[in-house]
Amino acid sequence: MADKPMSIIKTQLFSENQVLRQVLGICSALAVTNSMNNSLVMGLGVSFVTGLSSMTLSAMRNIIPRRVRMLVQTLIIAVYVIFVDLTLQAFLPDISKQLGPYVGLIITNCIIMGRAEAYAQSNPPIPALIDGFFAGLGYTGVLLIVSLIREVLGFGTILGMNVNFFGFETWTIAIMPPAAFFIIGALIWGLSARAAKKTVATTK
Amino acid sequence: MKKGHIYTFVFMVVLSAILVFALAFAYEGFKPSIANNTASRERRAILDAVGQTQARSDDEVIDAFDAAMKPVQIAGQNAYEYLENGETKAYALPFHGAALWGSVDGYLGVNADMSRTTGIVFTDQNETPGLGGRIDETWYKEQFRDLPIEDGRILTYGSHDDYQIDAITGATQTSQAILRMVNAMIQSVIFSGEVK
Repeated sequence: MADKPMSIIKTQLFSENQVLRQVLGICSALAVTNSMNNSLVMGLGVSFVTGLSSMTLSAMRNIIPRRVRMLVQTLIIAVYVIFVDLTLQAFLPDISKQLGPYVGLIITNCIIMGRAEAYAQSNPPIPALIDGFFAGLGYTGVLLIVSLIREVLGFGTILGMNVNFFGFETWTIAIMPPAAFFIIGALIWGLSARAAKKTVATTK
Repeated sequence: MKKGHIYTFVFMVVLSAILVFALAFAYEGFKPSIANNTASRERRAILDAVGQTQARSDDEVIDAFDAAMKPVQIAGQNAYEYLENGETKAYALPFHGAALWGSVDGYLGVNADMSRTTGIVFTDQNETPGLGGRIDETWYKEQFRDLPIEDGRILTYGSHDDYQIDAITGATQTSQAILRMVNAMIQSVIFSGEVK
């Protein structure tokens, strides 16, 4: 029942996007999206952890006792998160300092366990790796869109570079968490409306 | 494929052992470079506080620090004295306090007679990235160069006759906390009567 890699990728990036369609990983999507830099690093961290933990769990899926499977998932995910944290501290100390508490919070990202439960435990390792990694990239994409809007409106910058050429007054609300609610809400609305239209069109 | 209690138990023990071993191994492997990063970051920060901001590699920072900074006790605090050709040029005074989410540690640089600041650095802070965490951005810290230090006068945000500091938009609590701990340190360390 292995799915084709391209169809997994498309599903994870667009049609079943974890943030916009499954509404998972919202906590961090609200928190880190006031600058694109933080969103990018956070997104890559989540992609890396989701991909590798899905692959590991999938490789072990036949030997994990069912009743402790969530425990095992948490353990494996935690190990990868600590690994990411250590790597950042050792090689990218500046980014590690800037992201501070958020790296540890990767573990609370519902997408990771969501993919472990929904996909990795019943599929082979390679598709699970692709599924997890692209689920993370789909999350990263949404974070980048939201943070682009918030950073431009809130700070007048893109990736820290000044783009406020017209000298408009930056919106303080854009850098506070409520702004992410509005933006993500609008995106979810847009995508759901489109999906609904499609359903109506095919059932007619 | 139902598995018994013993299998489950052994499985968890073995898995935990493997994972702990892997993590310990990774941690040991990364430890030297993490320790190195921390040491040079702290030294770079303290040099920055006394106005030594030239670009240097991590090794140069450690050499420069060991050559010019002397640990001293000021009002019971572990401060650093910055020497140039044996002459005291500045001090880096540690401060510590509670901000919005957690504690903030840093150093305030002051000149030799402790009448002006030379700079500020933060060595440890856990404020919201992108909001309070912006205290660590250059523009914010640069505002703390050459501010007046006088007994009974506290630094406040806004435009004043002889200095100006801007708070961070969207991070009022953190901004206020920083000035609060800096002012408290100035009063207790510099004007406690033990130094001057």
